[in-house]
Amino acid sequence: MTKDTGRSTGGVEAPRARTSPLLLLAAWLVPGLGHWILGKRRRALVFFTVVVGAFLTGMLVDGELGTPRPGEPFSWLATLACLGNGLLYVARLVWINGLSGALGGLPFGLDGGGDPTAVGFAYGNTFLYTGGLMNLLLMLDVSDIARAEKD
Amino acid sequence: MVDHLLLMIWHALLVALFFAFLWRRSSRDRLRLFAKTFLLMAVGSVVLGWLMFAVP
Repeated sequence: MTKDTGRSTGGVEAPRARTSPLLLLAAWLVPGLGHWILGKRRRALVFFTVVVGAFLTGMLVDGELGTPRPGEPFSWLATLACLGNGLLYVARLVWINGLSGALGGLPFGLDGGGDPTAVGFAYGNTFLYTGGLMNLLLMLDVSDIARAEKD
Repeated sequence: MVDHLLLMIWHALLVALFFAFLWRRSSRDRLRLFAKTFLLMAVGSVVLGWLMFAVP
């Protein structure tokens, strides 16, 4: 007689559920949209307000969007952080460079806007990076919630 | 006009609110984490600023 160990899979782990790429895309494009789709409406509104608030503040105090520059490896990190803002980042880049300028300027010819002589320049950059990084964290959170690893 | 202190407090407020809602589920826990994070960032920055007077 064999003893029941409680393992129904015979030691083989069940495959982990995967998050829909469309859900992650939605979460990236519009801050809070992933949570909204998953039914976490209150949280979605708070996250939207926080990320958009950070982005707008960064923009209003003359912060510069991160764009890649040749020979400056840290500019790629700044780009990644700002890229986290999703549609806001894309829209702002198109606003500054124009559509043809934004498409034609890839990857090294993009203007990130901002004014380095402005009093709020460094603060503005911080707000822009923070907003983007927060939205990237939200994407991870959405993935966890979708896979039922958290509520 | 750009007020540095106001911007720092606004930043602390946004970040504290974000993590309170990301990491906690009950209102009470959220409020506690928000207060702790906000105070640590806002007050901590001012204290650090004062301490930096000693650095030439």
